Amino acid sequence: MEQDMQDFADEARRFLNAHATKAPDRAALTWGVGDDSTAYFSSLPPEQEHEQVRRAREWQRIRYENGFGWITGPVEYGGRGLTFVHDLLYDAVESEYEVADTGVIGVVGLGMIGPTILAHAQPHLKDRWLPAMYRGDAIACQLFSEPGAGSDLASVSTRAVRQDDGDWLLNGQKVWTSVAQHSGIGLALTRTDPDAPKHRGITAFLVPMDTPGVEVRPLRQMTGGTDFNEVFLTDVRIPDDHRLGEVDGGWTVALTTLMNERATVGSEGAGPVAAALSPDHLSALMRATWTWDDRALRARLAELLVDVLATRHLNARALQGLRAGVAPGPEMSVSKLLHGQNLTRAAHFVSEVLGPRIIADTGQWGTYAWTELLLATPALRILGGTEEIMKNILAERVLGLPREPVTTAAKEVRP
Amino acid sequence: MTAEEHELRELRSSVREFLETKSSEEAVRKLMESEPRFDPAVWAQACGQLRLAALALPEEYGGDGFGMVELGVVLEETGRALFCSPFFATVVLAAQTLLASGDARACARHLPGIAAGRTTAALAVAEDDGSWDPALVSARALPDGDGGWTVRGRKSFVVDGTTADLVLVVARTVAGPSLFAVDREATGLTAEPMDTLDATRAMARLTFDAVPATPVGADGAGGRVMAKVLDIASVGLAAEQAGGARRCLDTSTEYARTRHQFGRPIGSFQAVKHKCADMLVQVELAEASSREAARLAAEHDPAFPVAAAVAHACASRAYLYAATENIQVHGGIGFTWEHPAHLYFRRAKSSQLLLGGPAVYHERLLDRLGI
Repeated sequence: MEQDMQDFADEARRFLNAHATKAPDRAALTWGVGDDSTAYFSSLPPEQEHEQVRRAREWQRIRYENGFGWITGPVEYGGRGLTFVHDLLYDAVESEYEVADTGVIGVVGLGMIGPTILAHAQPHLKDRWLPAMYRGDAIACQLFSEPGAGSDLASVSTRAVRQDDGDWLLNGQKVWTSVAQHSGIGLALTRTDPDAPKHRGITAFLVPMDTPGVEVRPLRQMTGGTDFNEVFLTDVRIPDDHRLGEVDGGWTVALTTLMNERATVGSEGAGPVAAALSPDHLSALMRATWTWDDRALRARLAELLVDVLATRHLNARALQGLRAGVAPGPEMSVSKLLHGQNLTRAAHFVSEVLGPRIIADTGQWGTYAWTELLLATPALRILGGTEEIMKNILAERVLGLPREPVTTAAKEVRP
Repeated sequence: MTAEEHELRELRSSVREFLETKSSEEAVRKLMESEPRFDPAVWAQACGQLRLAALALPEEYGGDGFGMVELGVVLEETGRALFCSPFFATVVLAAQTLLASGDARACARHLPGIAAGRTTAALAVAEDDGSWDPALVSARALPDGDGGWTVRGRKSFVVDGTTADLVLVVARTVAGPSLFAVDREATGLTAEPMDTLDATRAMARLTFDAVPATPVGADGAGGRVMAKVLDIASVGLAAEQAGGARRCLDTSTEYARTRHQFGRPIGSFQAVKHKCADMLVQVELAEASSREAARLAAEHDPAFPVAAAVAHACASRAYLYAATENIQVHGGIGFTWEHPAHLYFRRAKSSQLLLGGPAVYHERLLDRLGI
C-alpha cells in the first residue's frame, strides 16, 4: 500500500510537471504583489467569466485524459478505480502547482451531482453523462431550491406529470441555481404526488439543459455578481429513463446530494478565500496597516486563528475517519457551520484592521478588495442549508433530541 | 510507542469504568471538603491496578513507555469525572518537567517512585500574580557554600502543593530562572492550602525560607524547560477540559430529552436544541484540537507548539461555554449547590485561567506562529 501510494504520487508529479507550473511558496507572501481578490463568489464580467470557464474545462479534460480527472470513479464509467486516499494525495500534490480553478465544474457537478448519478441513475445515463461530466464537457447544476422551498426542500412544488407515452412534463420555477448558465445537465426535484406526505411525493430527474422549455435567467445577488440563476421550466418533456430512483422516491436521491453538499461546502479548499484564513496573510495585513502591536486586535487575531486552526484539525480527523472507511455523516454539518463562521469572522476582523479603507476604494492593494469576501459572508450562513437547519440536524441526528412538534399547518401536508 | 485505535478504546473504557465507581459525584463531593483532597487508597489502586501514573513514562524509569496520546485519553476521563487525585500535578506537571529538563539523574531518582505511585509531586512556578512566565519569577536560589543550594521565596497556586512528596520549584540564580527539586520534609518549607474557586483541585501557597534544594537540569535553563513544559501541560489540560466539556454536553442533552415543560420535552424547543448544537460544535473542536496536538507531540512534529497553543485556547473556551450553558439548560435546578453543574463551571473557569488565561495563551499562539 505504502509503495503503491508513493508510485501514485510520483506519477501525479510527473503529470503535473509536464502540464503545469509550480506555484510560488505560499509562505513567501509579499504584501502588494499578485492578485488581491478575496472573492468567494465570482463577480467577473461575462467575457472574463467565459474565459475562466473555458480554462476550467480545458484543465479538467487534461486531468481526465491523464487519469487524474476521476480518481475514485468506477473504471467502467471512465474512472480510475482508486481510493479516496489516492484522491486526497493527488489534491495535495496538485496544490503545489498553478492550475486553473475548476470550481465551476467540481463543486456542484463532480462533488454533488456525480456521486448522485452514480448511486441512483440507470446504466445508460451513467454511460452517457458521467464520462462527459468528469471530462469537463458537461457541467452540472442542482435544480433543487424554489422560491417557496429553500432549506425546506421537501416543499418543492415544481410539477412532473406523467404523459400517455410514458414521458414526463415538468413545470415550475427553480432559484439560487449555481452555474446553471454553464450547465449541460441539471438534477431536478419535482412533485409527482401532491397528495402524499411531502417527503414521499417527490421524484428526481436528470434534465438536459438544452431541452426546449428550460430557460435560465441570471439572478443578481448582493455581491453584485450573478453566480446564481433562476431556472424556469415550461412544459419540459423528459423521458422516463431520465428518472433517478423510484417514482415518488426522489427524497432518497436528494439526501445523497445533500450529504455530499455538506462535505463539499465544509472543506476549506484553495482559491482566494484560503488567503483570508492564512496566518501569514492576516499578519502581513496587520503589518501593512501599522496595527501590528494593537493589543486588542492581536487578541482578536489569535481568537480567529484558534478557530481556523482547530477547524483544520477537526477536518483532518474527519478525513482520517473517511480513510478508515467511515461514511460522511451529519458531523459534516459541524464543518460547514464552522467554515461559514470562520470566514465571516475573518472578514469582520479584517474590516476592523482596515478601518475606513474598506468603505471606499483608494486603489491601494489588498484593501477595498476585501469587500468581496465581506459581502459574501451573509450567504455563507444560508447556502447549502441555513445555520438553523444545520443546528437542527446536529441536535436531532447526532444528539438525539426530539423533533419539533408538527404544527397544524404542517399536518395538512404531513399527516 | 503509540497504541492502536482499539487499544485506546479499551484504555478509555477501563479508566471510565474505574472512575464511575471510585469517583462518583458523591465521592467527589466528599473529597473536595476533606484533607488531603484525594483518597490515598483510590490513588494507590489507580497507580497499581491501572498503572495510570506509569502509562506515559519511559520504560527505563519504570514506566510503560506510552506518550501524550494515551495520557490524553486518561485525562479526558479524569476531567469528565472531576477525579480528585494528584494525577494532573504529579503525572502531567511534575513528571513532564523532569523529562523536559533532560536531567537523567533527577529522572532516575524521582520518576520510578512516581511511576509506581509511591511519590506524588508538584510544580511551583507561579507567585502571587499567577504568572507562569519564568522571567517574572522572584524566588531566589543561592549556593550554600558547601556545594548545595537553598531557595527563598513564596509560590502560590501550587496544585496539590500541601500533599506532594516532591516539589519542583523555579527560582532565580545569577544565570537566570532555574529548576530545583525540594523534599516536602525539608526544613524551612511551609505549605498552606488556598481557598479555591474549583474545590476539586487543591492549591497551596508555599513559603521557602532557605530551603535546601537540588538543581534539576542546567543552571539558568528554567526558561527553556518551562517553555516545553507549558506546551505539554496545556495539551494535558486541554484533554481534561475536553472531557469535562463532553460531560456537560451529555448531561445537558440527557436533561433536554427527558425534562418536560409546556407539555413537551424542552429539547424539542429550537432555542434549547440550538444551544445543544452549539455546545456540540465547541466540544468537537476541543476534542479534535487536543487529540491532534497530542498526536503531534507523540510524533515530535515541529507543528506541535502551535497545535498546543490552539488546543489550550480552544478547549478553554469550549469547556467554559459548555459548563455555562449546561446550567442554563437545567434552569433553576442547575443553580443549586446540590446539582453537579456548578462543580463543572468552577473547574472550567479555573482551568481557563490556571496557566495564565486568554491574554497569555493568545500571545503564546501568535509567538509560536512567528507573528
